[in-house]
Amino acid sequence: MGIKDMSFAERFTFNFIDRDRWIYIADGLKVTLQITFFALLIGIVLGFLLAIVRSTYDKTGKLKLLNLIAQIYITVIRGTPVVVQLLIIYFVIFESINVSKVLAAVMAFGMNSAAYVAEIVRSGIMSIDNGQFEAGRSLGFNYFQTMIYIILPQAFKNILPALGNEFIVLLKETSVSGYIAIQDLTKGGDIIRSRTYDAMFPLLTVAVIYLAMVMIFSKLVNMLERRLRNSDH
Amino acid sequence: MTINNGDTLIKVEGLHKIFGALHALDGVSEEIRKGEVVVVVGPSGSGKSTFLRSLNLLEEPSEGRIYFEGVDITDKKVDINKHRQKMGMVFQHFNLFPHKTILENITLAPIKLRGMKKEEADKQAMELLERVGLSEKADAYPSQLSGGQKQRIAIVRSLAMEPDVMLFDEPTSALDPEMVGEVLELMKQLARDGMTMVVVTHEMGFAKEVGSRVIFMADGQIKEQGTPEEFFEHPKDPRLQEFLSKIL
Repeated sequence: MGIKDMSFAERFTFNFIDRDRWIYIADGLKVTLQITFFALLIGIVLGFLLAIVRSTYDKTGKLKLLNLIAQIYITVIRGTPVVVQLLIIYFVIFESINVSKVLAAVMAFGMNSAAYVAEIVRSGIMSIDNGQFEAGRSLGFNYFQTMIYIILPQAFKNILPALGNEFIVLLKETSVSGYIAIQDLTKGGDIIRSRTYDAMFPLLTVAVIYLAMVMIFSKLVNMLERRLRNSDH
Repeated sequence: MTINNGDTLIKVEGLHKIFGALHALDGVSEEIRKGEVVVVVGPSGSGKSTFLRSLNLLEEPSEGRIYFEGVDITDKKVDINKHRQKMGMVFQHFNLFPHKTILENITLAPIKLRGMKKEEADKQAMELLERVGLSEKADAYPSQLSGGQKQRIAIVRSLAMEPDVMLFDEPTSALDPEMVGEVLELMKQLARDGMTMVVVTHEMGFAKEVGSRVIFMADGQIKEQGTPEEFFEHPKDPRLQEFLSKIL
């Protein structure tokens, strides 16, 4: 019996229930979330550090060398495709070291995201009135205390929508992990397709799961945004 | 021209500040003594704000030395942050922290920089708020306050660090006219309490009433100074005569 002759329920059973094929989706989803979560952490931490270096240089002219390094980093990362970066990290940089593919992917997506986060955060820092800086410094806070207590909390609120957007992009970008033979969500759906020769069912399912995750995440960002706005009139 | 023979609090020697092609400060030397209220006036672009902002090194001098309580704070080895804790500053645009409540605005620096306990800092802040009649605003955010209230809070925020000198950079210039009075009143009260103050302002009434000394700046230099009586009644410098004729 060909796929075209099956009923909806039969196709569903064939694609997901038979031989427990749903496990490809479930395991893939787990891997996708894992990569996204840890890449997000790296992206935030590294991105904020890069942003602080860049804006410190912009504001004070200090950290010249670090700023140059940060600038080159951001230019290179933003100027090359993330798939190429993923392949280079796994096949070139980690060539002689035996690391897990997932770790390589976390590094690649995290480092990639950091470059975008850095520019978002930097624009947030630069958008805060310089008077805020001066008020902090005049009270006796040093540069980094002023950043942490006064500038970054205000900047964070302004850039939250852009950051949320960046994380949505990151989540979706991990779908190219299959290039280094990681079985993520996308790959999981694709494996089912190659077993059942039914492209529509598994791929639409994968798409719907991504969509659902993005919508949930957007909702969370919106809620956080509203909360931050409420605490500050 | 010594009016007050108190101890020197701030001593400025040969101060220059150059912004690109602009010579904003052109060799300023001055002393601020304890308990003095020094009012700095002058036309816009005269360097008076730059001079004030140099005193706590918000502007780094291109040349010259500044001593605060005997310490050369222009020395790179000196931890300027320590000394800034003793120099309060009030800005034209208040610069309250919009993401923090009034109470948090006041207690942030005492808690983080002086290691005060939160309850202790809150108590001190409430006492200060009481003094300026704004205690009911403790939990409000800056955006809920009028300009005059914001500026009084900004003054209180500086006072919470128990500074030895207060620097005012045109504290009433951004206020609606009906709010100027309440801020000046608080500043007068501070002066009466013996606070050392350096005030850049256009409020000549304030200069006359509470200034112990008035300084006139033009072209990045101190052109004339004296007690308010000498200064306003018998100005000698032609630029000052011209300036006074325009504003009085």
